[in-house]
Amino acid sequence: MAEPSLIGGYLAELSAQLPAPIVAELADGLDQTRQCYLGQGLGLGAAERAALAEFGAPRVIVAAFTRASPARRAARRLLVTGPMVGACWAAALITNRAWAWPIPPGARAVVGAALVTVIVLLAGAAFSRHYRSAGRAAAAGCIGITALDATLLITVAFVAPTVIWPVIVAVTASLARITFSARALRTVLAI
Amino acid sequence: MGSLRVVSLLMRAEELKGHLDALLLAALEDGPRHGYAVIEALRTSTGGRLDLPTGTIYPALHRLEAAGLITGSWSVVSGRQRREYRLTPAGMRALSGKRTDWRDFAAMISAALEGRPWPSPA
Repeated sequence: MAEPSLIGGYLAELSAQLPAPIVAELADGLDQTRQCYLGQGLGLGAAERAALAEFGAPRVIVAAFTRASPARRAARRLLVTGPMVGACWAAALITNRAWAWPIPPGARAVVGAALVTVIVLLAGAAFSRHYRSAGRAAAAGCIGITALDATLLITVAFVAPTVIWPVIVAVTASLARITFSARALRTVLAI
Repeated sequence: MGSLRVVSLLMRAEELKGHLDALLLAALEDGPRHGYAVIEALRTSTGGRLDLPTGTIYPALHRLEAAGLITGSWSVVSGRQRREYRLTPAGMRALSGKRTDWRDFAAMISAALEGRPWPSPA
């Protein structure tokens, strides 16, 4: 349905920054607000202006949706829990004398660089002021953290398969994080 | 005069921020509602004195949905997509808790402002 000009322009501005389902919901609310003002006797233009004034500036709405976005929420949870999972792995790797493992320095450097990249991506998503960029950064961060956890699990399974409690704790933490990341990724990509 | 009204509205918005979730949950207590109907229900129940910025109600509803306190579903009305929200069991429990908290808080402030002693538990 074609929107009248003022509301159409407003929705176009929102569409550039928010996902289609959110814009569809706002369009319905705007239409009802406009109908309400038309029912009060306002002309079409005045009703549109009143409805838009009642909704507020697009940047305010976009900022509010971004603050409540699943991408930002997931990124913040991963950032908050990251040090705890990291501490579990530090204990497991130190207990297993990981520095003596036959892993090439290049591979260690790649894992370190990947970890820094994932942290930067998640921090970018967690504090982003743009809905779409928060979603992209969070999705990339979720994929990255899953890849890192999988790398750690595979490495431990092949290099140090001895079952000791610090490894059990670290493996459990990583599996929990992989599960959370997969769910978060599905939610972020679905919007 | 205009700036005083803006300050007053901002203060009221700031005061309401902590209670917005409870207000939205209460508006959904009687049954499912879409965003605009939630806003209308709040206006009606407060005699028009509570006039929240409409555009920010929708993000708050999304936040409550993500928290599992309400659930949303789509329908098509007059060719337009409409999202309707309803309370979940967790939302009902949360509303009950927020009501109790509010009554305790309001009673405490009233007692302090009016110089009455705080009622001791029975």
